[in-house]
Order: sequence, then C-alpha cells, then structure tokens
Amino acid sequence: MTASISTGPGRALIAVYGLFSLAAGARAAVQIASKFDQAPLAYSLSALAAAVYIALTVALWRGARLLALVGLGIELAGVLIIGTLSVLDPAAFPDETVWSAYGKGYVFIPLVLPVVGLYWVLRHKR
Amino acid sequence: MNTVISTIVIVASLLLMLASLIVAIRNRPMGMVLLVGFAVLEVAVLVQAGFVIAAVAGGQGPADKVTLFGYVGGQVVIPPAGVFLALAERSRWGAAILVVAGFAIAVMTGRMLQIWAGGA
Repeated sequence: MTASISTGPGRALIAVYGLFSLAAGARAAVQIASKFDQAPLAYSLSALAAAVYIALTVALWRGARLLALVGLGIELAGVLIIGTLSVLDPAAFPDETVWSAYGKGYVFIPLVLPVVGLYWVLRHKR
Repeated sequence: MNTVISTIVIVASLLLMLASLIVAIRNRPMGMVLLVGFAVLEVAVLVQAGFVIAAVAGGQGPADKVTLFGYVGGQVVIPPAGVFLALAERSRWGAAILVVAGFAIAVMTGRMLQIWAGGA
C-alpha cells in the first residue's frame, strides 16, 4: 500500500504543499526576474525552497515515499539552517525568503510542516 | 481597488473556512453546501480580479504590479483546485483541504489590499 501516503490526511498535506509551491514559486520567480542582483543568496534560497515544495507536492501526490522523506529532510534542515542564519546575520538576508526567521512571514507554518510531514510519512511503514 | 468586493471575498472565504472546519470536525466529507459555497467564492474572486485588472488598465495601482497579478492569478486557481482535491478525498480530510483553501483566499486578499495601499 505505497499509495496510502497520498490519501486521507496525506491529501490535506498535498493541498498545503501545493499552496506553498504556488506561494514560494511565485515569490522566487518575481524576485529573480525583477531584482536578482540585489540579494542573490536570498533569492537563490527562495528558488531552492520553491523547488523543494514542488518536489514534495509531487512526491506526496504520487505516493513516492523515498522522495518525500528526502524532500522533508531537506525542508526541515533548510528552515532550521536558513532560519538560524537569518536571525544571526540579517545583513546576508536583505529580503525575505519563505524560510527567513523560521518562516515567520508565513505564521511559522514552514517550521511545523516538515515535522507533520515526517510524522505522516514515517507512520506508514512499508 | 474596490474595497466592497474585497470585503465580500474576505468575509465569504472566512465563513467558508469556518463551515469547512465544522464539517471536518464533525467527520463528514464535503457536502453540497461547501461545493456551492466555493463556487460562489470563485465567482466573487473572478469579479475582484476583473476590478483589479480594470483599475490597473485605468492607470491606478501600485508600482509592483507583477506581485499583484501573482496574487490575482493564484486566487483564481485556489477554489477549483481545493474543490477538485476535496472531491477526490471523500472524508473529513477533504473538508480540511477546504479550510486551507478558504484561509488562503482570505490572507491573499488581505495581502493584495496591502500591496495596493503601497505597504510591505
């Protein structure tokens, strides 16, 4: 039953990840297209975050457990590392990314989401 | 930006979010009320998009039009996408998806009003 992570609560996770793909993807596209030279690091990380969210939406949708776990790991590491760096060295992050200050601009959902996701995927052994 | 239609969109989306939450808590799948509700919300969102496009065409609006239209486009997609997923998921989690969709529309409309007013 590998497809089981894509139904039930998993389908609600797909909705949330789809929404974040849209939000992060649109934000990264606007930032990179209009003002990439102002903050190349922050905008590259925006694009990375968007790519992770899109990959996770697809992985959950397709029931690809391994890809989902890898993506969730990168997401959790990303929000923790970039969150910490953005608090310690705000000068390096002149503009917001989804993961800045642990996702404060998105009511900390980016911090909670990978934990919920890991719990959900790991609960389904096999 | 037309604040009347934006108010309607925000109030409708928050009411639908609340209704979806109640349905999810009562452990029911999406019913006809939510289906029709989100169809009405989609119409309101489209009307709002029309007002935004008309106002921008008339020379009004903020400097950052790309972001504004990003929100307009995103909003138009969310109710159908939410309903599509909720139709596939005939359980309380289908209604939970609509909680997310309703909340997103309310927040995005609020952000559009901020952008329009020239705020961050």
